[in-house]
Amino acid sequence: MTELSFTEEQRDCLQELINVAMGLASDKLARFLNTFVHLQVPAIGLVNAADIPAQFRGQYQGLNSSMISLGFFGDGGLRGETILLYQLDNASKIAALLGYDDDANSEAEMLTDISSILTTTFLNGLAEQLENSFSYAAPRIIFSRDNDFISKLEQTAFHWQLALQVDIRYQLTDYSFDCNMILLIPGEAVLKLKTILDHVLAEF
Amino acid sequence: MNIDWLINPLLQQLNSGVILLNRQFQIAYINPYICRRADIKLEEVQGKELFSLFPDAPKAWLTRKLDSVLSLQSPAFSSWEQRQYLFKLPHLRPVSSTNQYMAQNCNMLPLTEPTTGEQFVCLLIEDATDAYVYQSQLQQSNFQLQQINRLDGLTGVLNRSYWQQQLEVEVQRAGRYRHPLSLLFFDLDKFKRLNDDYGHQAGDVVLKEVAKLIGSLLRETDLFGRYGGEEFAVTLPDTPLEGAIEVAKRICQRVAATAVEYQQQHLAISVSVGVSDFNSASSVNGANCGDTLIQQADLALYQAKRNGRNQVISYYPELIDSLKKVKP
Repeated sequence: MTELSFTEEQRDCLQELINVAMGLASDKLARFLNTFVHLQVPAIGLVNAADIPAQFRGQYQGLNSSMISLGFFGDGGLRGETILLYQLDNASKIAALLGYDDDANSEAEMLTDISSILTTTFLNGLAEQLENSFSYAAPRIIFSRDNDFISKLEQTAFHWQLALQVDIRYQLTDYSFDCNMILLIPGEAVLKLKTILDHVLAEF
Repeated sequence: MNIDWLINPLLQQLNSGVILLNRQFQIAYINPYICRRADIKLEEVQGKELFSLFPDAPKAWLTRKLDSVLSLQSPAFSSWEQRQYLFKLPHLRPVSSTNQYMAQNCNMLPLTEPTTGEQFVCLLIEDATDAYVYQSQLQQSNFQLQQINRLDGLTGVLNRSYWQQQLEVEVQRAGRYRHPLSLLFFDLDKFKRLNDDYGHQAGDVVLKEVAKLIGSLLRETDLFGRYGGEEFAVTLPDTPLEGAIEVAKRICQRVAATAVEYQQQHLAISVSVGVSDFNSASSVNGANCGDTLIQQADLALYQAKRNGRNQVISYYPELIDSLKKVKP
């Protein structure tokens, strides 16, 4: 745990890079989606992956939720997984946002489409800040329209014990639609990330 | 080592489709994987618009996706699980697969030509037909297992647990829409003696034949189940008591008129039938209506046996008192 935790400098640096990446992403998304996109300055922290279900409990308990995962690989051993959580009361809002007719597209396709747009846009920006580039796996629906998803989440074997959690909230004003993104980076990759951050810091 | 020589043979022999589009979605390049399957020549289609070449492709949706790749400069994906295919292409599983077109996974990647800075979208297409076929087979097996789980192995009618479950569904529906609903309970007369005299295999043959005969007298919507050993039950939706009694009488007559053949012998059989209906049951106890229906039909059946078998009795409230007399 100790060798994985960030120094204060590394942490500030990562926070700053993520902020910049989010700025880039919200600008691109706003132009593509024709709406103002507000991305809250995220909280970042190293967490025990086993604690994540408990965190979601308060926030999403009893709601119809969907969870979509998207994996990514970068150079220098950097890799991870993003998880997007949606409350599905606003499925029709997502359809309108993407310019889809409700009928022609399945809800599953709509969710994977919006997820890959939201995550890859942000991650591309982050990769740019880290002087890296990411390749992505196709998005995967872990579950959809499930109000007992917390228990499923507890059974979901994450590939890692320790994770870098970055909570990002996408709020789109015209559509009052929001979702949460969690960026999970496994322990080995956190070590790589620290090296990369040190490299970035050395350049200043 | 210079590896420029690698690109061409790789694109030639790659076991995935590559389609390169410019900003106007015109074909810049298609690799042989696609050319051969679509029966087109690269030099003849270069510069043509994608949707004129593949008029069946989902234009509105795909255009929006390609726009997102170009404007966000980030990849987009399409999975066979959500959309079986983007382009109608044949696949190489003619025997094992019933679907006509190749199931496809597609990656849409933003690319920039380094010297001119011109932007392109590259579609990488993978054949997912095997996965599609496996999943279809799995769904089919699941369906078959579900059927097996609902049916009685010997007679092929519904098994008790599924029949009872469906009775509850019908009871709720009848209550909600105020439709009539009736229940038949019947039992093969002197079945134990038949088993003793001719053996259990004869008994099985009789059960199968009677189930087949009665099944042929029912409507599609009637729910016919095996309740116990030689006891069967039929739920008759949208059927008032009079109609149910008629059905029951027909069953009684037809069974009595039919002899089951077993090892060159004709086995005479008959059934006794008890009938109950939703009105009388719901007036007693609205909550456990299904159970009440079963209990009333069972009481009527018992009375039919006591009256001498091979007959139909419908439930009447005094039957409860007669039960109390018999079983003090």
